[in-house]
Amino acid sequence: MELSGSIAAEPRPSTSLLMVGGINKRFGGVRALRDVNLEVRAGEVHALLGENGAGKSTLIKILSGVHAADSGTIEIAGKPATFDSPARSREAGIAVVYQDLSLVESLSVADNLLLGREPRTRFGFVRKRELMARAEAFLGELGIPLDTKAAVGSLPFAYRQMTEIAKALMGEVRLLILDEPTSSLTSDEVRILFDAIGKATRRGVGVIYVTHRLNEVFEISQRVTVLRDGANAGTFVTADTDMKRLVNAIIGTDRLAPAASRAAPAAARALDPSPVLSLSDVSNDRLSAVDLTVMKGEIHGLAGLIGSGRTEILETIFGLRPVERGAFEIEGRPWLPKSPADAIDQGVALVPEDRHVQGLVLDHSIERNITLPRIPRFSRWGFMQQRAAIRRAETAVARLSVKAQGASSLVRTLSGGNQQKVVFGKWNDPRPRVLLLDEPTVGVDVGAREEIYGVIRNAARDGSGVLVVSSDLVELIELCDRISVIVDGRVARTLVRGEIVDAEELHHLLQIYQASGQGVLQELPA
Amino acid sequence: MTELTAPNVAAAPTRSDRRRKLLQNLLRGERPYMLYIAFVVLLVVFSLSSPWFLSVDNFLNIGRQTTLVSIIAVGMTFVIIARQIDLSVASTLALSGMAAALAMSQISNSWIVGAAAGLGTGALVGLLNGILTTQLSIPSFLVTLGSLSMARGLAMMVTNTKPVIITNETYFAIFGEGTFLGIPVPIAWTLVAMIVGILLLHYNVFGRRIYAVGGNPTAALYSGINTKWVTTAAFVLTGALAGLAALVLSARSHAARPDVVQGMELDVIAAVILGGCSLFGGRGYILGTLFGSLIIGTLNNGLVLLGVSSPMQLVIKGAIIVAAVAFTKR
Repeated sequence: MELSGSIAAEPRPSTSLLMVGGINKRFGGVRALRDVNLEVRAGEVHALLGENGAGKSTLIKILSGVHAADSGTIEIAGKPATFDSPARSREAGIAVVYQDLSLVESLSVADNLLLGREPRTRFGFVRKRELMARAEAFLGELGIPLDTKAAVGSLPFAYRQMTEIAKALMGEVRLLILDEPTSSLTSDEVRILFDAIGKATRRGVGVIYVTHRLNEVFEISQRVTVLRDGANAGTFVTADTDMKRLVNAIIGTDRLAPAASRAAPAAARALDPSPVLSLSDVSNDRLSAVDLTVMKGEIHGLAGLIGSGRTEILETIFGLRPVERGAFEIEGRPWLPKSPADAIDQGVALVPEDRHVQGLVLDHSIERNITLPRIPRFSRWGFMQQRAAIRRAETAVARLSVKAQGASSLVRTLSGGNQQKVVFGKWNDPRPRVLLLDEPTVGVDVGAREEIYGVIRNAARDGSGVLVVSSDLVELIELCDRISVIVDGRVARTLVRGEIVDAEELHHLLQIYQASGQGVLQELPA
Repeated sequence: MTELTAPNVAAAPTRSDRRRKLLQNLLRGERPYMLYIAFVVLLVVFSLSSPWFLSVDNFLNIGRQTTLVSIIAVGMTFVIIARQIDLSVASTLALSGMAAALAMSQISNSWIVGAAAGLGTGALVGLLNGILTTQLSIPSFLVTLGSLSMARGLAMMVTNTKPVIITNETYFAIFGEGTFLGIPVPIAWTLVAMIVGILLLHYNVFGRRIYAVGGNPTAALYSGINTKWVTTAAFVLTGALAGLAALVLSARSHAARPDVVQGMELDVIAAVILGGCSLFGGRGYILGTLFGSLIIGTLNNGLVLLGVSSPMQLVIKGAIIVAAVAFTKR
């Protein structure tokens, strides 16, 4: 029953805003979409789920006029529409908020909101005051807390994204497409985003909401459409379905078994009592007196809001930020990280937050990327031992089951999850003593996420100390032996597995610490 | 932990595999075919339209005329792959030539002293370009625009714009007029520069680093690569090769002049871009650069043989460069 292609009972009477029927799309020999149908009603949030490569992006690109469908129909409010360019799609009232944003970073929020439609005088000069007033009024009406004067480039990622959404809503938008909008938001920011979405739907805007986070589907959507291998795998009324059924539709029944085995987080494991890395009283421009210990074989989580200093702790250990005060020990020996090269020499590895910007050279091959941090090992009299490097890369590709034609494939051609595996592959051999992970599963689909969890657990089992930053609290609870709560650049509290069992509780705790501000270190109720 | 002893991964490559690999190596980059085709078309057109074009002497002539651009273009390939640009190479050449000639006339009339002074001066200018670019984070376009002017000014200041005569016969033989295994030495030096460039860029660990720094500087930094040092090294290499070109030029003309090769940096950059380097960094290869400079040299030579007026030559050359890049770029 899980694949009932038909649409179940209507939640409430409403008009069909978008009707997509029998869309087909081929790229060379690959059928990216096969007879895909989708219906979105006015005022509805319609979640679109599927693994990477299931066809979500292709469908969105067809709706936004980037690609043309080979066959099939698109109707907007009952009228047939064809989009041969993004401009035509925009005219029809479709706005897409992409993961990679399209804002001018040097301009203010208000300037960006009204970019190209600035109020002008007769001589073409911008009416600055009116522009500000209009932007402010609009944001106020939506209830989006943005400073209209701030330069977009100076804002945290989450706020840029809100600007992007606000910009989309500012035009005559009937259908808003959000592509993984929450992948880098904290739970507070997710709240604000959901509020903004609610305000949009109340105006009759239809929303297609693409996500990998199933809990959000239940929170915000009225209906869900799942794509698998380029075809419809079911449309559900959210209220009538459950997590299990959705996962089933996303990954297909045959692959359900391994996913089921991961349930029930185990009780606290006995940890090897030898610390592999310890920080005491470490301070710099963003950290104040951080005390932290990572044991051999431990997965240690860092939880905190954006800007709390989680990422900066990792960057300091990796030698990217100068240390002003404090001491480090690695396997009991004192050490001060001076540069990434120095950290790598000591066996420290970093999987950074933004794999496109910090982790990978997208236009180079898998092998070149995987070899990058280990170049000195493959140097004989200064010459590259190409064959040994290729062999190591092939081993890593096989061990991490990267789906690619071979180690010479360009990284740009891989899906998000496989790209992330390549970043892990850079550190595969030799095994790092300390593995630093910053948001290791952002933009990674359900299947690949499980595989990456496996890679992380294996690293810990082999004796690496793992320090992982994540905004996904469920992920931290599932993975970590201990979780340290970071507030204002310091460790506010460290929890042992079992002390906290669900994300709600951990979220609550973060809020309490954040609200109580600096210097509050006494025990708080868990 | 697993060392690199992975048993029998990749069985012995078959012959067709190896042939494909070889082909890939030869044609490294994305748009090399067009480059070779363009070169062949150029040869055919000139051969058909000028009776003097197709001769060994004329090809040696082209080789000699291309020498300066080819030698420096090897260094420029590194700089451009690393996402930088060096506008100062022609001025660096002039200053290095003056240094070599003055060292021989003032310090000791030995070819070794001259060579050391020329190469050292070039490398020093490169070092300054690299340090200013990486340490002060000034875009290399501006840094080298400044050093373009300063190096030329210095070259003119040292003798008050007068040329310096060179009298060392060994120096002439080694860098300008002799032959090595039957090859005129300017061409031999070009080949040396090419081979060193190929070894460094495609087989040395330095090449890996250059590509990474140009492909994504942040990712390179996060992989423990000293991006500033690598970038600086590319500038030093380019400067030293400008010094080598200065030795060749001054040995050929028995003198160093402060006003030589003005504007040659544009030919060098054009050769590298024609050769398939991406101005956005991370892509390019030495063999492409060689063909790029050969195309420019052949154009210069062929247009002269056809009796095209020199203003018209400039127009045609510019148009062909833009067209070639537009055509091959897709």
